[in-house]
Amino acid sequence: MNIPLSCGYLLIRGGASFFLIARSPDTFALPLQTFDGEVFQGVHRGDLIVVSAPEGGDPEQARMLCELVRTYRQPLVVLPKGHPGSARLRMVLSVASCIMPRTDIVRGTHPEQDVICSSGELASLGMAAFGRYVRLSGFDPGRMAFFLYPPGSLSAR
Amino acid sequence: MCSTGGPIDIEFDEGLKGKKYRCNDCGAVFEAVGRHPVCPSCESENVTAV
Repeated sequence: MNIPLSCGYLLIRGGASFFLIARSPDTFALPLQTFDGEVFQGVHRGDLIVVSAPEGGDPEQARMLCELVRTYRQPLVVLPKGHPGSARLRMVLSVASCIMPRTDIVRGTHPEQDVICSSGELASLGMAAFGRYVRLSGFDPGRMAFFLYPPGSLSAR
Repeated sequence: MCSTGGPIDIEFDEGLKGKKYRCNDCGAVFEAVGRHPVCPSCESENVTAV
């Protein structure tokens, strides 16, 4: 399934969890901060910025996280394995042209940007940039729903 | 459900193996991952692995 998306947001909801998807408007170098250094990942116009909320929460929080990267180019911090901060992360973010959910990784500890922590109910959903569309694979309309929003706050939507 | 810590975790073979690049436009040297690196100083894609 292909869904057109430019500067707004695509919300994929499961029963409780969700993904919020946006697209990069520009090409830039995204800094990834690890415990022992800094590396940069090339982000290109149209790449996906995906926020995952495995237990759900406020989509506006996800939008803010998204904009910290998309608009303000906030570096991503990668926690070392075993760091207690993983337990406090209610939402995580990845940036890539193609992103696959994973249920078998620890939040905030994986620098690879083509995977993202997910709930089980959304684990089958592949997300990829495809021209002006977001291509969703494994979308199950019986268990998932999608909503498109224009740029701006998602509060009270 | 992805874990918030504990025994469930996998490692990816490639890990985070960055390569060093030099920007052909501004001369910055940086470490990058991915197939299409971008210079963090001037955002040029005209870079060469060093």
